[in-house]
Amino acid sequence: MKYLAPKTVEEATTLLAEHPGATVFAGATDVIPQLKAGRPEPEALVDLKKISQAVSVSDEGGHWSIGAATATAKLTGNKALAAEFPGLVEAAGLIGSDQVQSRATLGGNLCNASPAADSVPAMIANGMRAVIAGPGGTRTVAVEDIPTGPGSTQLQPGEFVVSFELDHAPARTGDAYLRLIPRTEMDIAVVGAGVRITLDDAGNVASATVAIGAVAPTARRVPAAEEALVGNPINDTTLAAVAEAASAACNPIDDKRGTIAYRRQVAGVLARRAVVAAAERAAASTNGASNNGETR
Amino acid sequence: MSVGGTPRRIDSEGKVTGVTEYPADRIPPDALVAKVVFTNQAHARLTSLDVRAAEVTPGVVAVFTAPDVPVNVYGLTLPDQPVFVGTSHTGRTDVPCDVSRWEADHLALVVAETAHAADQAAAAIVATWEPLPVLGDIDEAMAPGAPLLHPENGLGHNVYTTYNIRKGDMAAGWAAAAAVVEATYEVPYQEHAYLQPEAGMAYIDDHGRVTVEIAGQWTHEDREQIAHALDLPEDEIRVIYPAIGGAFGGREDTSLQIVLALAAWRLHQRGEHRPVGCVWSREESIVGHHKRHRGRIQARWGADAEGRITAVESEAWLDAGGYNYTSNKVLGNLHLGQGGPYEVPNAQVTSHAVYTNAVPGGAFRGFGGPQSAYVAECQMNKLAEALGLDPVEIRRRNVLRDGSIGITQTPMPDGVTIAQVVEACAAAASTPPPASPSEPFTPFATLGPAAGDLRRGRGFACAFKNVGFSFGFPERCEAEIVLHGAVGDDAPHGADLFHAGADVGQGAHTVFTQMAAEALGLPIERVHGHFSDTAITGDSGSASASRLTWMAGNAILGAAEEADKAWRNGDRPAVGKFRYVPPPTEALDPETGVCTPNFSYGYVAQAVELTVDTGTGHIRVDRVVSTHDVGRAINPDLVVAQIEGGVVQAHGYVLSEDLQVRDARIQTPRLSTYLIPGIGDGPTVIEPLILELADPIGPWGARGMAEMPMMTYAPAVVAALHDATGVWFDAFPLTPSRVLARLNESGRP
Ligand SMILES: Cc1cc2nc3c(=O)[nH]c(=O)nc-3n(C[C@H](O)[C@H](O)[C@H](O)COP(=O)(O)OP(=O)(O)OC[C@H]3O[C@@H](n4cnc5c(N)ncnc54)[C@H](O)[C@@H]3O)c2cc1C
Repeated sequence: MKYLAPKTVEEATTLLAEHPGATVFAGATDVIPQLKAGRPEPEALVDLKKISQAVSVSDEGGHWSIGAATATAKLTGNKALAAEFPGLVEAAGLIGSDQVQSRATLGGNLCNASPAADSVPAMIANGMRAVIAGPGGTRTVAVEDIPTGPGSTQLQPGEFVVSFELDHAPARTGDAYLRLIPRTEMDIAVVGAGVRITLDDAGNVASATVAIGAVAPTARRVPAAEEALVGNPINDTTLAAVAEAASAACNPIDDKRGTIAYRRQVAGVLARRAVVAAAERAAASTNGASNNGETR
Repeated sequence: MSVGGTPRRIDSEGKVTGVTEYPADRIPPDALVAKVVFTNQAHARLTSLDVRAAEVTPGVVAVFTAPDVPVNVYGLTLPDQPVFVGTSHTGRTDVPCDVSRWEADHLALVVAETAHAADQAAAAIVATWEPLPVLGDIDEAMAPGAPLLHPENGLGHNVYTTYNIRKGDMAAGWAAAAAVVEATYEVPYQEHAYLQPEAGMAYIDDHGRVTVEIAGQWTHEDREQIAHALDLPEDEIRVIYPAIGGAFGGREDTSLQIVLALAAWRLHQRGEHRPVGCVWSREESIVGHHKRHRGRIQARWGADAEGRITAVESEAWLDAGGYNYTSNKVLGNLHLGQGGPYEVPNAQVTSHAVYTNAVPGGAFRGFGGPQSAYVAECQMNKLAEALGLDPVEIRRRNVLRDGSIGITQTPMPDGVTIAQVVEACAAAASTPPPASPSEPFTPFATLGPAAGDLRRGRGFACAFKNVGFSFGFPERCEAEIVLHGAVGDDAPHGADLFHAGADVGQGAHTVFTQMAAEALGLPIERVHGHFSDTAITGDSGSASASRLTWMAGNAILGAAEEADKAWRNGDRPAVGKFRYVPPPTEALDPETGVCTPNFSYGYVAQAVELTVDTGTGHIRVDRVVSTHDVGRAINPDLVVAQIEGGVVQAHGYVLSEDLQVRDARIQTPRLSTYLIPGIGDGPTVIEPLILELADPIGPWGARGMAEMPMMTYAPAVVAALHDATGVWFDAFPLTPSRVLARLNESGRP
């Protein structure tokens, strides 16, 4: 098994074309345990961390750009990002432990395509886009369209994610991510819920995104929950509708961590709580005045 | 004063700096690598075994199977297990060796130059099996027509040990009852999950002894079992314990001892003298050693209007798995605990151990006590609820006291202090008052849950636990002290202490040294310990049953007295050897259970406060007051460490550890699926409360205490959960999904 470390996107696409059996990696916090568990060794491992676009975080150019191979510790440590997207940053900060987060990345979390990946519902809730490089050039795809099932993505041979784009949040917007694990840390989500809410001046929901993880083959949006919210205030009726819609959207498995019935019920509970948290943040937010894209 | 102080642990520097050697660290680079090949069959008959391909695998030195074992059977308290499952019967045993009764039965030991070669050879072994019906649990094992797992015992059924207690007049007891509570409880497995998975090495020492360096709990018992299987005299076997990375009962039975000794011995006969080492992975460890027993207990208790117990009717079944291990002894302990630490005028108690094809049950901190204490204390808390009594008050009216007659109809040993322990715990738990009921918590995310979903509750439980081996076992403990000095000296300038007792991480060797220093009037630095090597130390008995400080202390006191006599006699060096034997105990009468079961007890009470998230089923334990009469804290820091560690281990048992077994096979052989508490998971506050009410026959008044923190945590948590939700939980672990399912089913809160 070879170790290759390209320094540019072009070099990386060339190497990947030359080594069709290669696997890209960033933190390797999924790749190495999988190899140790007996997955066949690839011909080469291509390290993305030497590519500067893949490891940088910036909010220039009208939106955030987050390198796909950036350690999540860099995101939790970014005060501006955390202030604008606390839910996204909290999701990144739930991955494993401090040690794991010094290696783990959003690109790896997404492309490993575990249904339970913590950052994915939060990325979907915030409408993030993946910038993909490959033999045919560069394309941009919504994060929610990337995973296609457990362990599989729509990436084509030779393609990899360079970075993520994240638009600045409009005024009166808040996001939240909640996950449930049996323990306090170092465990795999039984249910995750990522929500983003924008309120109008009357305090009603102007727009909403609700995404749930670990309860279906891929993280998924819950349109019925979003519809129940938009145009309405956050109250017991809308929250009950959110919970019901989230539970109904589940297509979970029974496994060692939780039964189908449990995952379904708790998906509703977490979606509801995440909506409350995101709406509270939206109401308290100062985004827009000082922080939205246009005024910068 | 050495006793009562907290000198630096004698093992601390080595452990902190990393120089301490655990068994795997002792294996030299040139050692041969051994791999245990499991049968991987829960229940099947071996019809053929072909190891020729394994033997010729490059790098393989030898493959050992059943015919290599002189006496192909072993077992700590009942020899019922083949060393290797094999087609041809060897040695003096009635136990058929051609049947695998457990997925981790041993089929062969491969010895190779490298781990890789050993793995390749293991994969090249060809075994053919005739499948037999798998008895996945006690219900299947007790069903009519179930195949017999051990027909050789002649019983005709898989229920192979039963104990009784028949006391008083049950009809009168029920007639006097103002309240009766009845339930069927299910208790789960628990995995020991010690930090150090099984590892060891064997070689022939300079005196020609077959020597095994390994982690265990009782060097001399390991030696006896090895000698038995190899059919060698005990003095041709030597067992040494290097540092031990935890045990908790999980090393009470042998794991690699016999097979490693066999390999070194057989290789030596063939002219191969390199040591043989083996290190189990976590998966091998979890699949390959016994567990705390799962089981079922049906209990029906009555009490009069004042809350005094009038009758206890109770029947228990433990899943012993494919082999006895220590199940027959664990069962005795569970049996004795079914009536709780109370005056029980009328009792009908029955306890059974049942063979199945699941993982064997065996020793684990508390040794059957936690299972019966869970039931007894839940019953007591339900009686309190039924009668409108405070849980502490009902205990006050029932607990055993000095002079009480226990449930086996003989007087309790002097020094019954549970009443004081209960009072002290209740008083400590009532101050300060519990925190406000709406404080949000979040064990699983960075955002707090809806405060409206939280409920708080408080629970209480108490128990007793025997110190030392019970029911007529020939208890003993040996110690030797050698005093050094010149002929004219008034006092020795130093001493050597020889003791076999296992320091499994609890600090036993520090405590032994403290006690020897105290007994000799020497500073602790002048006492040099030599431990856990059968070549130089006498039989200490096991590091189990909360007995080691207690038994070793009495042995050390005796040895110090003998050494002092020799010193005053002018001997230089002055040698004192002593074998301490405690007051005798008796086996249960088969019909009535009448006996003197034990010579000493420790007493515990715990008060728990918790918060439950009724939206997710998560439980956070906010506070536990763990109250222990330790008689005398020989080393208070180590006592606190035992309480804190025991509470956290109990926390895992009750809340998160869920060993899943399907068709008699373990489904959760990893610490990523079998969830022990992480640093953020234990109780928020653990308050150890130590009482020192002397045991009249304990060394310096000490009592054993190491198992006691495990005893009452389950019932105290369950009582607090009931207080919070109004729902009783007659089974655990209380994982979020089980809690939520039960709350849903009961329509609360
Ligand atoms: C102890 C431990 C705890 C963990 N806890 C959590 C947790 O709580 N929550 C959670 O969600 N995950 C958890 N994980 C899993 C893992 O840490 C995360 O999924 C992490 O985000 C993966 O990032 P990485 O950079 O290490 O991925 P890598 O291992 O480098 O890669 C993972 C996969 O993605 C592919 N890949 C990586 N980067 C790219 C890219 N830019 N473009 C295309 N493909 C790419 C790789 O080829 C590979 O298939 C844990 C892992 C460990 C070891």
